[in-house]
Amino acid sequence: MNPVALARQALAYVMLLLVTFVICFPLLWALSTSFKLPQDVMASPPTLIPREVTIANYRNLITGKEQYFHGVGKGYVPSTAAPQHFTSWFTNSVVVSLGSTLISIVISTLAAYSITRFRYWGRRIIPYFSLLGYMIPSIILVFPMFLVMAEFRLTDSLWSLTFGYVSITLPFCMWLLWAFFRGIPIELEEAAMMDGASRLRVFVDIVLPSALPGIIAAAIFSLIVSWNDYLFARVFINSIEQLPLTVGVMHFFEGVHVDWGLMMASAVLMTLPMALLFMLMQKHLVAGFGAGAVKG
Amino acid sequence: MFDSTDWKVADRRIGILFIIPFALAALVFMVYPVAEAVRLAFYEHNPLRPEASHFVGLENFRTIYDDPLFWKSFQQATIWTACSIVLQTVIGVALALLLHLPLRGISLFRGLLLFPYIVPTVVIALVLQWMLNAEIGVVNWSLKSAGLIDENIYWLATPNMAMISTIMLNVWKYTPFVTICVLARLQTIPLELYDAAKVDGAGTLRRFIDITLPQLAEVLTVVVIFRTIWTFNKFEEIYLLTKGGPGTSTFNLAIYSFEQSVASLKMGVGAATGVVMMFLLFTGSLIYMRVFKFAEEETA
Repeated sequence: MNPVALARQALAYVMLLLVTFVICFPLLWALSTSFKLPQDVMASPPTLIPREVTIANYRNLITGKEQYFHGVGKGYVPSTAAPQHFTSWFTNSVVVSLGSTLISIVISTLAAYSITRFRYWGRRIIPYFSLLGYMIPSIILVFPMFLVMAEFRLTDSLWSLTFGYVSITLPFCMWLLWAFFRGIPIELEEAAMMDGASRLRVFVDIVLPSALPGIIAAAIFSLIVSWNDYLFARVFINSIEQLPLTVGVMHFFEGVHVDWGLMMASAVLMTLPMALLFMLMQKHLVAGFGAGAVKG
Repeated sequence: MFDSTDWKVADRRIGILFIIPFALAALVFMVYPVAEAVRLAFYEHNPLRPEASHFVGLENFRTIYDDPLFWKSFQQATIWTACSIVLQTVIGVALALLLHLPLRGISLFRGLLLFPYIVPTVVIALVLQWMLNAEIGVVNWSLKSAGLIDENIYWLATPNMAMISTIMLNVWKYTPFVTICVLARLQTIPLELYDAAKVDGAGTLRRFIDITLPQLAEVLTVVVIFRTIWTFNKFEEIYLLTKGGPGTSTFNLAIYSFEQSVASLKMGVGAATGVVMMFLLFTGSLIYMRVFKFAEEETA
């Protein structure tokens, strides 16, 4: 290889490493802070590798050790939102994310099959309607949805969040699955039906397996969106123990003293499930991007 | 053989049956909230006293029209969106070109790209608040050690810096979106085009301007329109980092609407702001669909 080409390649790698650094550093820094002792968190100069590794922050979050914050003029008072709620916030996040994803996927899979295999009035507008639906920002939907939930006496419950997230995830699951089902060749189904298989049999035995990659992609995007939401939870939920993680950990800012170690540990734990999902399902994520259905 | 008439009737029923859940869900979770948002825009509605809700005509729209904060939010949203989009597009395309190079291990870097997308906004906002902390944050410390600054920068406490910080967060999280779309398109450009240009003696820059850019024009238009619409309406990316502050210096329309509804308990005014946002959004979407249709016809 000639020197110019070699230099170019070296430059490319340097730039790639720079990009990697920018992408990874915030989370690395959070990880580093979360394993530090309180006095090292504040230490100057800051170090990326903790001087002494401690798992106290994680232990406090998981075992729900009560934290005391310096209250204004009252001496030490227990925080209303100390880590003792962390595990319930985590469970709440898991429950509402899975719940809303399940609902959105079931509904949109059935609908996507219906509009790509049957002819009836209005079926053509459904995908475009969904596209418009997922362009509408949550801030516009959240207050009317809140009033609906209040009407059904569902506010301050995990149900309100589950249904609330359906309003965000359903349109883009629909759009993505429509694009996916359109690409599944119909001949195989027709052949099976010629042989006497019923529509339901065909749907379960032939269509669903071929649609699985699309369904997985839609499910991952739906999980990410519901797991990451802050706004709906902020508006719908009042009780501290009903909160999902996103709104819950923001309560760690209460009090005079901000415990950055604890905060970074919760940031890491909050990213972990999505990071695992991301590593296991990377291929499907890219497939979802390919279908052009990404909310961001 | 099967009895075709019986089969078709039963079949059609299944088709309708399968669409019913979506139709119901769409009515309850999509159509109704939007209709309700529009209705609220014409009502005075205090969430603590819902029984006193009453029709006020265009009063809410007049309120926001006369409110300097609305116009300030609008202006800031425009600046925020414009800066974010320009940076995302420029960096996004550069990154796509970089990741398109035939290097060893490049797929590893490509895989990494999606990472910011899955990181919850709350997490990146928390981490940035920590990193940008004026007194003990790692960013100020690094800049100081490198001799680039003498005084601590108050990233989140001074209006201009707060705006820049929120733009940084947005660019960090959403540039990969641009990169992935552009990268997918780059991979479909026929290599013969470049070979021909090389024979003609065109340099790297010439080839980029004459071949790559025109090929990317379509995908870039779509991506820019999409990103503009979404960025303009972002709430969490700003609110979680600065709460719209210091003061109101990072307010956008979404935060203005939120504050009207939650802090001032004027849901009608918040909803009217939402209607303005929807109007802008639909205008953007119409432009998108025009472009999209146009592109489809061209490839068909």
